[in-house]
Amino acid sequence: MIDRVFSTVVFAAAALVVAALVWVLTDVVSEGAARISWAFLVTEPRDAGRAGGIAPVLVSTLWVLVIALAAALPLGLGVAIWLSEFAPKQRGFAAYTGITLDVLAGIPSIVYGLFGNAFFSVYMGLGYSLLAGGLTLACMILPVFIRTCESGLRQVSDDWRQGAWALGMTRAAAVCHVLLPAARPAILAGLVLGIGRATAETAALLFTSGYVDRMPESPLDSGRVLAVHIFDLSMNVTGGDGAAYGSALVLIVLIVLLNGLAQSLVDNWFKRRISQ
Amino acid sequence: MFQRLTGLLLAVALCLSAYGVQAADNRLILTGSSTVAPLVLEMAKRYEQQHPQVRIDVQTGGSTRGVNDTRTGLAHIGMASRNLKPTETGLRVHTIAIDGVGIIVHRSNPISSLSNTQIIDIYTGKIRNWKDVGGRDLSITVVNKAEGHSTLELFLNYFALKNSQVRPSIIIGDNEQGIKTVAGNPGAIGYVSIGAAEFSQARGVTIKRLPLEGVAASVAEVQAHRFPLARPLNLLTGKSPSPLARRFIAFAQSEAVADLIADQFFVVPR
Repeated sequence: MIDRVFSTVVFAAAALVVAALVWVLTDVVSEGAARISWAFLVTEPRDAGRAGGIAPVLVSTLWVLVIALAAALPLGLGVAIWLSEFAPKQRGFAAYTGITLDVLAGIPSIVYGLFGNAFFSVYMGLGYSLLAGGLTLACMILPVFIRTCESGLRQVSDDWRQGAWALGMTRAAAVCHVLLPAARPAILAGLVLGIGRATAETAALLFTSGYVDRMPESPLDSGRVLAVHIFDLSMNVTGGDGAAYGSALVLIVLIVLLNGLAQSLVDNWFKRRISQ
Repeated sequence: MFQRLTGLLLAVALCLSAYGVQAADNRLILTGSSTVAPLVLEMAKRYEQQHPQVRIDVQTGGSTRGVNDTRTGLAHIGMASRNLKPTETGLRVHTIAIDGVGIIVHRSNPISSLSNTQIIDIYTGKIRNWKDVGGRDLSITVVNKAEGHSTLELFLNYFALKNSQVRPSIIIGDNEQGIKTVAGNPGAIGYVSIGAAEFSQARGVTIKRLPLEGVAASVAEVQAHRFPLARPLNLLTGKSPSPLARRFIAFAQSEAVADLIADQFFVVPR
């Protein structure tokens, strides 16, 4: 009896979560699908975003994402490798690094926005720019990315490390050819989490990459990302709901595409490594 | 290897600095009110079309940010959807549009007007049910704006209230949120931009505008300067703005942008 109640309750929980997701998706698809067309993707917004398309917004979003990942991936992998392979276990500087990362991971994104505005935009003189926005996002996704990669590397069995030493591999070679490929699922998970958080971010970007909806000409230009565009259209621009739904649908499709792309890239890259 | 890397970095740095210098005299940065930003963004686009070498970046952040950024020089021009406070000195004000603020209730509400005293009593919590002002037996949901919004300051000023006296049921942010909140709540009362309310009503959103002191809450009455509750939408500069800033402000105050002001549901100042 208790078992049956228990299984019903957990099933209901699962069904509730799926229902919520389906509801959101149905709402966005049914309201947004009518707005989507090739012209919507390749023209500039007009009349404060109510009419026209989202081409510059889409380009800005990709710019910010590429800058954020280009800054966060090498740095994050480096820190994760150091923490799991080279640092003295849970002592001294490594322990402090770990605590710092956990604190940073819990900070609300608006705080990163204020920091990014003060540090990248004002102190470093980048102004409102895609570069400032991308670097702010990099700071924001680093803690989670590092922690995910680190735990993935730690989970690799010590047999692999000993095997690599027995073959006379250097530590660097062992990391590149054995440990990183073995930690592939974790790195991918970190990447997907990072992409999701970065593409959906509004608060951290409003005051760093900014509000300008012109086609960016360089990374030093200000550019409005999709999330900021959706927020402005739904909360600030009267009559912007239709375009907001259209943009939201584009954002969802974009995140799905990017996650698929990340998966295939990571898979390909590491498969070659392992087979070499 | 290192030499090549250094060379590359130097080249990048040179490009960036050249870009910075080139950008200095034909680039304007505006920050401030989120109400004014969409309007000025459209004006900036039209100006850029006519002057292809100019770049005008419009950023948001609220009226107070507009004031502060202009005073510290972070922005060439600030945007504010209110008059300056006595402490905000050293700035020149250039009005580009007028925005009326009207009281709205749900469309199903049979009330057709409220006196100023009744509105004050509702917002201070002395009247809590619509039947006390001649309506149905339905409790009143008071929708107030969050601290820092200039519509809130305008509303409080006009009715001589302090925000601590107001007993709100719901606190909201931007205009559009106010319209959506009242439309979804039959007992609600709120105050929003008249142009936006008129437009939403025409599209079938379930709200109703109430007259104030006997004057209908319509764009036409705001235009005629008869509606009592209105605010200026301003551009702010320091005492001596740059030539480009001066030219853009003249453009923003000219006939050439009258259609843009109407498109954003504001009124051209006369």
